Amino acid sequence: MEKSQYHAIGKTSIRKDGISKVTGHEIYTTDVVLPRMFHARVLRSSFPHATIKTIDTREAEKLGAVCITPRDVPNLRYAERIVTIPSKTFKDRQVLTHTPRHVGEAIAAVAAETEDLAEQALSLVRVEYERLPAVFDPFEAMKEGSPLLHRTILFGQDEIKVKNNIAASREIVEGDIEKGFKEAEIIFEETFETGRVYHAQMEPKSVVCQPEADGGITVWTTTQTIHNVRQLLGEIFNIPLSRVNVKKVALGGSFGSSIQMNSVVPIGVALALKARRPVKLVSSREEDMYDHCKYPSWIQLKLGAKRDGTLVAGHMKVIIDIGAHNTQAYPLLGCMAGWWVSLYRLPHLKFEGRAVYTNKVPACAMQGFGNPQVTFAVESMMDMLAERLEIDPIDLRLKNYVGLGETFWGQGPTVKSIIRSCGVEEMLRKGAELVGWKDKFKREKKEGVIRRGIGMARGFHTSGAGAPMAGEVIDYSGSIVKINEDGSVDFLTALMDLGGGTLDALAKIVAEELKVPLDKVGISPVDTRTTVYDVATHATRGIYCGGGALHKVTGQAKTKLLEFASRILQAPPHSLKMEVDEEAGQGMVYVDGVQGRRISVGEVAKTAQINNWGTIAAVDSLRQVSCPPCFMAYFIEVEVNTETGVIKPTKALAYADVGQVVNPDLARGQLFGGLYRGLGYALLEDTQYDEESGELTSGGWITDFKMLTANDLPEMDNIEVHFTDTYEPTGPFGAKGIGEAALNPVAAALANAVYNAIGVRFKKIPITPERVLEALKGMEKRND
Amino acid sequence: MKVSKTYPLKLNVNGEWKKAEVTPRETLLHVMRERLSHTEVKEGCGKGDCGACAVLLDGKPVNACLTLALQADGQRVVTLKGIGTPDKPHPLQESFIKKGAIQCGFCSAGMIVTAKGLLDKNPKPSREEIGKAISGNLCRCTGYKKIIEAIEEAALKLRRTKNDRR
Repeated sequence: MEKSQYHAIGKTSIRKDGISKVTGHEIYTTDVVLPRMFHARVLRSSFPHATIKTIDTREAEKLGAVCITPRDVPNLRYAERIVTIPSKTFKDRQVLTHTPRHVGEAIAAVAAETEDLAEQALSLVRVEYERLPAVFDPFEAMKEGSPLLHRTILFGQDEIKVKNNIAASREIVEGDIEKGFKEAEIIFEETFETGRVYHAQMEPKSVVCQPEADGGITVWTTTQTIHNVRQLLGEIFNIPLSRVNVKKVALGGSFGSSIQMNSVVPIGVALALKARRPVKLVSSREEDMYDHCKYPSWIQLKLGAKRDGTLVAGHMKVIIDIGAHNTQAYPLLGCMAGWWVSLYRLPHLKFEGRAVYTNKVPACAMQGFGNPQVTFAVESMMDMLAERLEIDPIDLRLKNYVGLGETFWGQGPTVKSIIRSCGVEEMLRKGAELVGWKDKFKREKKEGVIRRGIGMARGFHTSGAGAPMAGEVIDYSGSIVKINEDGSVDFLTALMDLGGGTLDALAKIVAEELKVPLDKVGISPVDTRTTVYDVATHATRGIYCGGGALHKVTGQAKTKLLEFASRILQAPPHSLKMEVDEEAGQGMVYVDGVQGRRISVGEVAKTAQINNWGTIAAVDSLRQVSCPPCFMAYFIEVEVNTETGVIKPTKALAYADVGQVVNPDLARGQLFGGLYRGLGYALLEDTQYDEESGELTSGGWITDFKMLTANDLPEMDNIEVHFTDTYEPTGPFGAKGIGEAALNPVAAALANAVYNAIGVRFKKIPITPERVLEALKGMEKRND
Repeated sequence: MKVSKTYPLKLNVNGEWKKAEVTPRETLLHVMRERLSHTEVKEGCGKGDCGACAVLLDGKPVNACLTLALQADGQRVVTLKGIGTPDKPHPLQESFIKKGAIQCGFCSAGMIVTAKGLLDKNPKPSREEIGKAISGNLCRCTGYKKIIEAIEEAALKLRRTKNDRR
C-alpha cells in the first residue's frame, strides 16, 4: 500500500492519555487507595553483608502492626525476571532475607492503620546482626579468599556452587581469532569503563495488594509486565494464576527499572495475606536508590584490521559488576556479545564475559541492556582506528557495518535473523552533510580556554527478541480486538506504555487496518484476567512485537467483519474494500466499482447483532520471527572549558532508522529523551559507595546523585532529529522499534567530540569536570 | 503509644475551603494526598529534590513536601486540577499535550504548576527564564525540550488572549 494512503500511521495526533495526565486524573500505583487499607514500611539492612541472629517484632505488634520476617514468607529462591527460559534462569532472590548482601536489602516489614503508626512500629523492631566481611570491587571479589556472597544458587532446578563470586559467565567464539589476528595488519587493544547509573524514574517503586475472599490476590504495581508479575507471585505464594490478578496502571517512568518483578511486590503481598487487609507499600526515594541501577562494565577490546580499514578479528572481555543479586546477567552477557558482533563484520571473534557479585545494589536492565556500554567501547575504538589509518571515521564505519541481508544477533547467540531494512548509509551520509562534517571534522590541535570539537557515533537496538528459532528468550505478544455495534473498536493488550506512547502507536495500527477514525479506537483498561500473555514492554519491542501481534489479531477481526459485510452487501468478501470516512466518523466497507453497495463498520456490527450472527472479535498471539535492528546515529558538538573542565554539548543531530514512523511527534520525543539520558550517562551520572559503611555516597538524594537539568542541554534550536526513509517488511505497516536505540550511541559520540576538542581520549565515563582537568594536567606534564 | 496532638487546618484548595486535623510535623504534601485526596500532587522524593509535588501557595510555586501543612493555614493552594479540567483545560495543559511535553506524566503536575507560577508573574519569559524556573522540576523522560516549547507556546497564547480582551 502507498504510504500516502495511510490515514493514521505516520500522522501526528494527540496522545490518548494526554488529557488525563495534564489535568491530574491519571491514576498511578501510588494513587491507588482501598477501603481499610494498611500502610507498610520495610526494615532494610544497615550493613552491606550480615547474617541476622534475631529479629524481635513483639513491641511493634503491641502497637497493632502486622509484622513479617523471613520466617513468615515462603522459603524459596527465585529470579525476579522470568523472561529467560526456566532451564537457563539463575535464582538467588528471596522475599525477605536472613543474609542481607547489600545496604538496603529487605529483612522484615510492618503494616499498620496509618503511615505514622507503621513508622513507629518499624522503629520498634529489634534486629541483632552479625556483620560479615563485604566486597565492593568486582576484581577483588573474583580473588581466592574474598568474601563469598552466595555459596549456592539455583540454575533452573539445580543447586549449583558459586565460585569466586562469579554469577554467570559466557564464552562465544566464531571463526578462529588466532588466524584472524595473524591476518591483521594493525592490532590494538583498549579497556573501557562505564558507570553505575541510577534509573531515577520519577515514580518510586510501589505496590498495593488486596487479599481476596477466595484466597486470591489483586495487585496494582509499577511494572513493565503484568503477566510476569502474576506468574511469579503465583509461584512464590502457591496461588493458582486464576486467582492472582495484576491490574495495569499508569507507570511513572521506568527505563528498565521495573523490567523484573520489583522486590517490594512480594513483600506487600505477604503483608496483605497475613493482615487480611489491603496493604500499600510505597518506596521512599532513598529506598528506591537502594533497589536498582544500570550494569557498570569493564570492557577490554582487541581489534585487528587490514590497512584498508577492513576489520578481520576481535576479542572482547567483559566484566560486569552486578551487585548483590543476579537479575538477568546471563542473557545480558549474551546480548553484549550480540551488540558487539552486530555492529561491524568480524570474521573471527571471541567474547568472554563474566558477571560478578559484589555487596552493592543489584543492577538490572536500563535503557540499552549492555548496548550503551558496548557501543561506547566499539565506537570509541572505531574513531581511534580511523585516526591511525588516517581515514574519515564515517568512511571506516561504512566499510565495516553489518547491514542489509546480513545476519543480526543483537539479542544474543540464540536470537539470529536476517536484516531486511537498513538506513545506515542514508543516516551517515546525510547526517554528515547536514552537520557540515567535511568542514568541521579536522584532526588538529585546538587552542584557547574554550575548545570546540565534533564527534559522531552510530549504533542500533533490536526491535524485540523474536527469531525463527525459539532460543533462550521468551518473546511474544497477544491481543484481543472487538468491533463495537457503533463502529468503534476496543483493543485489549497487556503491553505497557512506559510513557513513550506505545499504546498510541498500537491504536493507530488498529485504526489503519480497519480504516476507522483514530478517535474511534479505544485502549481498554485491563488486567491479567482480561488479557492474553505479553512478555513485557522491554527490548524496544512495543510497536514491532506488541503492535505486530495486534496487527495480526485486527486482521482476523477484519476477516470476520468482511464476511458479515459480504452477507449484507451480497458480494464475496474478496470483492470488498475499506476506506475511512472521517466526516461520518466511520470506517466504510464497499464493493469496488459498484455504486450504492456501501455500508459503515458500525452498521455491519449492528446488523450482525440484530441478526444474532455474533460479535466481531478476535484473540490471538504472535511471535515475531525477526528482531530487526533500529539503527541510530548521533553527531554531537561540544565546547570544553579547559579551566573548569566543564563539557558543554552545544549541538546535536540524531538520525534514526525506525522503519515506518508511526507516531512522528512521539518518536521525536523518544530521541530527545534518549539524547538527554545519554548525555547524563556520558557526562555526570554514577553511583558511588562508601566502602566502610557500604552506603551510597549520595545518601539516597537525587541532588547528590546528580542529573542533568533543562539548562545543561544544547540550546533547543540546536537539537535536530531526522528519520531515514525505510520500511521494515516484517513489521506492522513497515515499523520497527526506537526506544533504546535513541540512547545507545550518545556516550561514544560525546567522547569522540571531546577527543576532537582537546585531544584526550576518555575511556571511562562519566567524563566529569574533575576527570577532564586531571587528564589535561596529565597531558601538560607529558608535554613538559 | 505515641499520639501526636492534632491542630485544625483550613486551606483554600482550588477555590474551595477545606478543613483537616493535622499533626505539627505533617507536610502539606501529606495532607493534600492522604487527607484531602488530591493525588494529582505527586510525591517523587519527599525531600525537595524533584519538584513533582509543586503547588501554588498564595500564587507562588512551592514544594509541598518541604512545606509544613500548618504553615499553609488559611492560604490558597492551587494544584494541577485547579489550573484546568478535562472540559476546560488551561492553555498550558493544552500545549503540554500538543507539544508532546508529557511522556510518563509523573512530573507533569509539578511542571505545569511551576510553569503557571512563572507565567502569572512573567507573561513573556525568555527560554533562559523558563529553564531557570523549571530547574527544580526533574523530568527523566522528555529531555526538557518539548516542555520548554510547550511553556513558550502557552505564554504566547495567553498573551494573545489577553490582548484580544483589551
